[in-house]
Amino acid sequence: MGKHSIASQALSGIGVAALSLALSGPAAAEDKLNIVYTHHSSASNPFWQAVKKGFDDACAKIQANCQMVFTQTEGSIDQEVANQQAALARKPDALITTLVDNNAFVANLKDAKAKGVIVIASNVDATEGPELELRQAFVGQNFVPAGTTLGRRMAALFPKEGPLRVLVGVNSPGQNWSEQRAKGIMHGLEEFKKANPNREIVIDRLDVSADGAVVSDRVGAYLSAHPDTTAYIETGLWHSNVARLLKDRNIPPGKILLGGFDLAPQVIEQLKSGYIQVEIDQQPYEQGFLPVMQVYLEKKVGLAPADIDSGEAVFTPDQADQLMGLAKQGLR
Amino acid sequence: MRNLFRIYLEKPELAGVALLVFLAALFEARSAGAFLSGDNLRGILGLLPEVGLVSIGVTILMICGEFDLSVGSTFALTPMAASLLIIAGVPALAAILLGLLLAAAIGFANGFITLTFVIPSFIATLGMLFIVRSLTVVISGGFPPLLPDDLATGEFTQFVGPGGLFRTSFIWFLAIAFAASALIANSNVGNWIKATGGHLEAAGAMGVPVRRVKLFCFMLCSVMAGFGGIIQVFRLHSPLPSIGDGLELQAVAAAVIGGTALSGGVGTVLGAVVGALLIRVIDNGLVMTQVDANWFKFAIGALTIFAVVSNSWLRRTARRIKVAG
Repeated sequence: MGKHSIASQALSGIGVAALSLALSGPAAAEDKLNIVYTHHSSASNPFWQAVKKGFDDACAKIQANCQMVFTQTEGSIDQEVANQQAALARKPDALITTLVDNNAFVANLKDAKAKGVIVIASNVDATEGPELELRQAFVGQNFVPAGTTLGRRMAALFPKEGPLRVLVGVNSPGQNWSEQRAKGIMHGLEEFKKANPNREIVIDRLDVSADGAVVSDRVGAYLSAHPDTTAYIETGLWHSNVARLLKDRNIPPGKILLGGFDLAPQVIEQLKSGYIQVEIDQQPYEQGFLPVMQVYLEKKVGLAPADIDSGEAVFTPDQADQLMGLAKQGLR
Repeated sequence: MRNLFRIYLEKPELAGVALLVFLAALFEARSAGAFLSGDNLRGILGLLPEVGLVSIGVTILMICGEFDLSVGSTFALTPMAASLLIIAGVPALAAILLGLLLAAAIGFANGFITLTFVIPSFIATLGMLFIVRSLTVVISGGFPPLLPDDLATGEFTQFVGPGGLFRTSFIWFLAIAFAASALIANSNVGNWIKATGGHLEAAGAMGVPVRRVKLFCFMLCSVMAGFGGIIQVFRLHSPLPSIGDGLELQAVAAAVIGGTALSGGVGTVLGAVVGALLIRVIDNGLVMTQVDANWFKFAIGALTIFAVVSNSWLRRTARRIKVAG
């Protein structure tokens, strides 16, 4: 067989494969509910794997045709907007989405409303503006109170005497979830400051980014400049990287207190090792699972979706073993 | 066969057009007719001008034999500066023009550093990528400022045309693409750009002002990126400091997929547009057909390598046939 005939056979093989792919059509059956979940996170964020598991499990239970669309770049709002647009062009029955910006999604949500697509915000809601009117419900954490709880719980662990220096890490400046949690944390810390007027308390706020490696670099630099830091509290889950940094620098657990949000296996590991003292969970599995059930109820029974607070459960090192079991099942 | 090669030599971007048609047919069949629906085309065409403008600028600069990795950052800084000016009370048009002037200054700096210190533009603009991104975050304080609610952005974002199929940004994009295409294909400057990129020393010897030509291309590239960024910010109505992250590589991929040679001297504006459209179509098509969108970067990467390999093979073969003929 000559070179050319091998090449032409290969080409025709590719052609046939492409044609059969084209002709096989979409897998969705006509009567199944079509539900799309778009958000601002990339697939490398472990938190979202638990949301995805909840979403997939719920979809399997009601036999819906479901799709979760990640962004290519972590936190990219313009990519989320583009993904929403593509998803809405197929006129799904429901769009579940995060609303991390108060303006960027307005046009898409109006489009969804015009097409009769159910819109449920999950994980992150808008804080003000027209998006709140355009989505039917929100399933997720109430960020400001959750931040306040974290601030208070961390303050309760501060040394009883001497000056204090606390670093608050804002992971995504300008994004609703991060800003609101930071606002809550600051509120909790300010309460402590007011209650202790005679103590010297410095609270610094830093853009630490939402990339574990960068977080550890920036916080590491801050700690080098201020070795007397009492605590690092952040709005996300990247403080597990800071825990690793402390270990590398031979700083014992508990010398610099760490607290943050969300449970991922890496975070639970550092809770267990004693480097992280307080963690606030928002039950990501529920944030994937419950919106699907709400869509089902609206479509099949006519019950309107309603807001659900997925909580601000506080976790401490003594619960780490139990949490790890759930994390291994993808539920935490 | 010989005819096909002749067509390829004259219009290398046609290979991209053929791939575009194939992918559109594939996605259309897989999405049960939703891909080519007015709704989805509105989405694709609404986003195309942003990456498309950046790709045109990058392509022209690559034809001129240089590279700009700072376009993604300029894409963010220009609208951030314009937005802050608007918030400070400067009229919108003046703020946009000042923003574009800033973009031109970045382009000038890129060119000046590259040419004066005789360093690869790849390195000079890599440095600028970091500097400009940092400036964006610094001037915004890390927080996206709030654009006034009553800011009229219809000239850039309003839906127009039959069934509201296009945004006004698409008309801007078409006009700029035509102008850029005419510049490259039918003007003295275009010939200078191709000569500077393809045969630098010969061009210089023949009296082409190569330094000025390169500076012009650097500035044009930055202004295009800045304008793309302004359109995106007006569409989202939110000047985010993170926009355009990674866009530089998508723009280079679009240029290469569209037939632009990395060695300079070869390339067309139409190729850049086709390349950018291919990237948007793949991004959108993967979501529409429910393929795991995490394959997007894989697809763009594979397509880029495939385009470069096949372009260089086709070019060699076509030349051989020409010589033999």
